Amino acid sequence: MTKIVVVDNHGQFTHLEGRALRDLGVDTEIVDNDTPPEEVDADGVVLSGGPDMDRIGKSADYLEADVPVLGICLGMQLIAAELGGSVGSGEYGGYADVTVDIVDDDDPLTGSLHPETRVWASHADEVTELPEGFELTGQSDVCDVEAMSDTDRDLYGVQWHPEVAHTEEGEEIFENFLAICESQ
Amino acid sequence: MVDTETFVPDAVAEIEDEIGDANAVIALSGGVDSSTAAALAYEAIGTQLTAVYVDTGLMRKGETDEIRETFDYMDSLRIVEAQDRFLEALEGVTDPEEKRHIIGEQFIREFETVANEVDADYLVQGTIYPDRIESEGTIKSHHNVGGLPEVVDFEGIVEPMRDLYKDEVREVARALDLEEVVSERMPFPGPGLAVRIIGEITEEKLEVAREANHVVEEELEEYEPWQALAAVIGKATGVKGDNRVHGWVVSVRSVESRDGMTARAQEIDWDTLQRIQSRITGSHENVARVVYDVTHKPPATIEYE
Repeated sequence: MTKIVVVDNHGQFTHLEGRALRDLGVDTEIVDNDTPPEEVDADGVVLSGGPDMDRIGKSADYLEADVPVLGICLGMQLIAAELGGSVGSGEYGGYADVTVDIVDDDDPLTGSLHPETRVWASHADEVTELPEGFELTGQSDVCDVEAMSDTDRDLYGVQWHPEVAHTEEGEEIFENFLAICESQ
Repeated sequence: MVDTETFVPDAVAEIEDEIGDANAVIALSGGVDSSTAAALAYEAIGTQLTAVYVDTGLMRKGETDEIRETFDYMDSLRIVEAQDRFLEALEGVTDPEEKRHIIGEQFIREFETVANEVDADYLVQGTIYPDRIESEGTIKSHHNVGGLPEVVDFEGIVEPMRDLYKDEVREVARALDLEEVVSERMPFPGPGLAVRIIGEITEEKLEVAREANHVVEEELEEYEPWQALAAVIGKATGVKGDNRVHGWVVSVRSVESRDGMTARAQEIDWDTLQRIQSRITGSHENVARVVYDVTHKPPATIEYE
């Protein structure tokens, strides 16, 4: 059975990421973000959202662990910050209902949602510059970088919350991520 | 989603196993969580369980009577009339966290009295998964988790639904044949109407909140909201007859949600909103206006405090 762990960055929706994976029939576990990747045996990793970039523990170490990674909200921002991109406060906070334009219909994570998808978001900061190797895969009126992918390293990020009930096609993001993990 | 056919017998067995021949108490709030936990525990240990319902005076209209009726089958049900003691303790308090704290403390005192009387060694709680998460974070202190165990020296705490979500608890409630009123009941916060009154809790504001909540629940039933409520949020100017009034502002809120973690403010038609407005302002001289809250969660929470 495929195993995907959720690294908990103290987000209020972390447990819903666990639930979404559980509902897909994936073997899943929520681990504290102080857990080093060597202690975790998984086929894929979800970096959860959270309140503060100073409380991400060892999350960044998972980017070197050679398994697919999906960063959600702060989880995506930390990927950008860690790999040479940048993060700043947006002009306009993204809360609740947002319509995201899916830029690339070939993208393994978000492509199947092309051309647009309605999501639920909750963030003040956003990715302001993509790290090297990443492509922009989603954008919206309130946030320029809603999603990004590096398919060579299998690192993915979404700014919105696919795990909450109000995101219309949230499950599909997890299904697509599962397919990415299984094709390894 | 939880499989109730295995969950119910497993939970009953677990409760039996943990409590054995000892006595246990559960605090019954009338909400779906504690009602379901009480029904599971009663099935497991019968009258060794004392279900304690404390009427804090912060309950919805008719709530205490409904509880009395629904749980009539439990011989060991205890209803504690503590309205005056709660209102006295809350006098002059305006800070939301302090209000929650005072209600929690008073509740513990009332509950402790009964627990000692019946010689209870175990505490059964209807804690569900999101309660544990919200208490770990910084969003709000939670009524179910805070305080009780530290004060009363129980041998053990049994939380048969600790891994379930709200929608799953409803499934369990249905499987237990709990009357519709419980299984479909809207979530109601532990501190009751206190979190629907901004600032000090007075008899006057409580009366407005209680009646307004009743009107809102009745009028919005057909929208099948996950939660519909009215909150007394402040004062504003109005004119009634030829007199200027400085009266209460009542905010109406109605949301749909799966699990309470995110919520969408419902689109209510104008006529219904006007009828709510007219019923509330018409029957309360001291209400100056009624507003409808259009904010989703996030950025707002479902309740006001």
